[in-house]
Amino acid sequence: MSDSSSVGGTNVDGESPQLEPTVETDEATITDDAELERTLGLTGGLAIGIGTMIGAGIFVFPGLAAGQAGPAAAGSFAIGALVALLVALPASELATAMPKSGGGYYYISRGLGTLAGTVVGLSLWFGLVFATAFYLVGFGYYAVDTLAELGVAVGDGLVIPLALLFGAGFTVLNVTGTENAAKLQNGIVALLLSILVVFLGYGGLDAMGLIGDPSAPEQFAPFGTMPILTTAALVFTSYLGFAQVATVAGEMKDPGRNLPLAMVGSVLVVGVLYVATIFVATSAFGSERLAQFGETAMVEVGRHYLGAAGAVAIVFGGLLATMSSANASILSTSRAIYAVSKDALLPRRASNINLRYGTPHVALGMAGGPILVLVATGRVELLAEVASFLHLITYGLICVALLALRRDEPEWYDPDFRTPGYPVVPILGALASFALIGFMQRASQLIGVAIMLVTAGWYAYYARDVTLRGALQ
Amino acid sequence: MTRVLVPLAILEGETVPAGLPTLLASTDVTVLGYHVLPEQTPPDQARLQYEDRATAALDDLVAEFEAAGSEADHRLVFTHDREQTIDRVAAETGADAYAIPGVTGPVDRLLVALSGDVAVDRIRSFVADLIADREIDVTLFLATDDEPGGRESLETAAEALAAAGIDAETELAVGDAPFEALLGATADHDAVVMGERAPSLRSFLLGEDEERVAAESVGPVLVVRSSDGT
Repeated sequence: MSDSSSVGGTNVDGESPQLEPTVETDEATITDDAELERTLGLTGGLAIGIGTMIGAGIFVFPGLAAGQAGPAAAGSFAIGALVALLVALPASELATAMPKSGGGYYYISRGLGTLAGTVVGLSLWFGLVFATAFYLVGFGYYAVDTLAELGVAVGDGLVIPLALLFGAGFTVLNVTGTENAAKLQNGIVALLLSILVVFLGYGGLDAMGLIGDPSAPEQFAPFGTMPILTTAALVFTSYLGFAQVATVAGEMKDPGRNLPLAMVGSVLVVGVLYVATIFVATSAFGSERLAQFGETAMVEVGRHYLGAAGAVAIVFGGLLATMSSANASILSTSRAIYAVSKDALLPRRASNINLRYGTPHVALGMAGGPILVLVATGRVELLAEVASFLHLITYGLICVALLALRRDEPEWYDPDFRTPGYPVVPILGALASFALIGFMQRASQLIGVAIMLVTAGWYAYYARDVTLRGALQ
Repeated sequence: MTRVLVPLAILEGETVPAGLPTLLASTDVTVLGYHVLPEQTPPDQARLQYEDRATAALDDLVAEFEAAGSEADHRLVFTHDREQTIDRVAAETGADAYAIPGVTGPVDRLLVALSGDVAVDRIRSFVADLIADREIDVTLFLATDDEPGGRESLETAAEALAAAGIDAETELAVGDAPFEALLGATADHDAVVMGERAPSLRSFLLGEDEERVAAESVGPVLVVRSSDGT
């Protein structure tokens, strides 16, 4: 199926992209001599999407977001969900046309060529590294709060050491193999959803004044509209999970049906939960007090509504959620590295796996090392924004790639799912993604641009001769 | 033609015992080389690195089966889920049974277990095709609480086999530990044929009966599939 006229070239190490004809069925991917079993169902896909997303937004951001935008932070989360949805639809179409591991990087390198592919592939690696570091710092705050609830007050000084410890722990765990991690992940997601539904149900009734004391009315957007947009840019990290579903596209059964459902479904589920959470949280305390509680403000919200039990449930949920987000992101990082090294944009040995554990130890190391360095900085908002920046570039380019592929549709392009509202949806998706970047802090923008320049430089040095446009493996 | 699937963890060096190609000489064989990967590893990543090694090992195994007289081919699958892969490939190749290799030399005595809710007719016709016109002793084994009923099904099966030119002994175990009785009976035999059963809570807790028989009896176990998947 590959178009040999535009495929090939070698990198500095003399390696070429590994492109082979494959046949995709609903049950397996069949290459020349081997088959790759598709083992993930719709539930598994939703669990990956929701499990990656549910941590940050609900358990780390409410305090920070309410401090910046007041109760209108709920609007920020809604904007984030809308942008995510505008990207999830085009991404779904591309994923069903190319149901292979690699996700956003894969579509962009095939639709827009090697330079864009290299920048996005490597940016995705760093983006995930920043996101994981952010989740781990969030985990650190919850770990300290857990100790506090248990009666061991250790103070915030231990947040970073605990986050580092668990970051190293996850990396080692992933190298030595996590048996049944997916089943555990499904369980965690189910448990989290139950905790949240009970909590939001009760809190929502209270907030609407149906039960409990009436809460003090507060101006909806006390700081105006601008903070709503900047907050949307900050909290967009909460929605980074849906694209992770595309990275396991090669392992999903019946991808034509399950991929779009898992991607769009997880954005909708999580978006609704986020908006409801902010609404409940700001109704409980008012945004000013909420902001003072910081990263673990939700624990106080839980205590407010359901007493000590509520606080314990939220602390427990926060631990699980940040843990599952961090773990899922470490895994995605190693997949991102694999996808680019297969295309000869990184040395091939980066994706070696060891036969003893069957795990990609080099790529996991390339994820774990930088993550720990970033965790050590402890800058929650900066980490989140840089992660969002790098992902938003990818998301915008996914939409552009869809437009490019649809404009002169190649022969192999035959998606099972077609984006409704084409071309308006992908155009809005691209514009919204790039626009959101404009509302970030200057520091985040500079770091993001610097990373992209470095990756472009890497392309010029290492992989200038590699051609990927239009190539299917 | 009767087809038997032989699933092997190919990169873990799992291989076939000397007696298995001889036992399967009268059937078609598909060697299913599989490699199970932890969830964090994309199957394709392993294929890139290990495909050549696995294919070389599979070619050797196919040659062994062909030398014994089978029509043999191979499939190579990288997977997260061994059961799903075996089921899918068995259905795609239309395999009648799959083998759990074990260790054995030449097979002279075959134990055929008919206990429980299994497709007796499918097992019987599989055994007839497997043995063809070779000198292999067969024991039909049935464990049940219902002595007259059990004796009757054993007789029916034995007569049907006799019609195919195979003389079979019968062994009836009456009592409350059918599985243990089966394990006891395997001791005097070189290989076991049994039927695939629907997963039960007990199999979930203790492992599949077939796997347990294979583990305890040392020799190969041929599991006749409950449906042909078509």
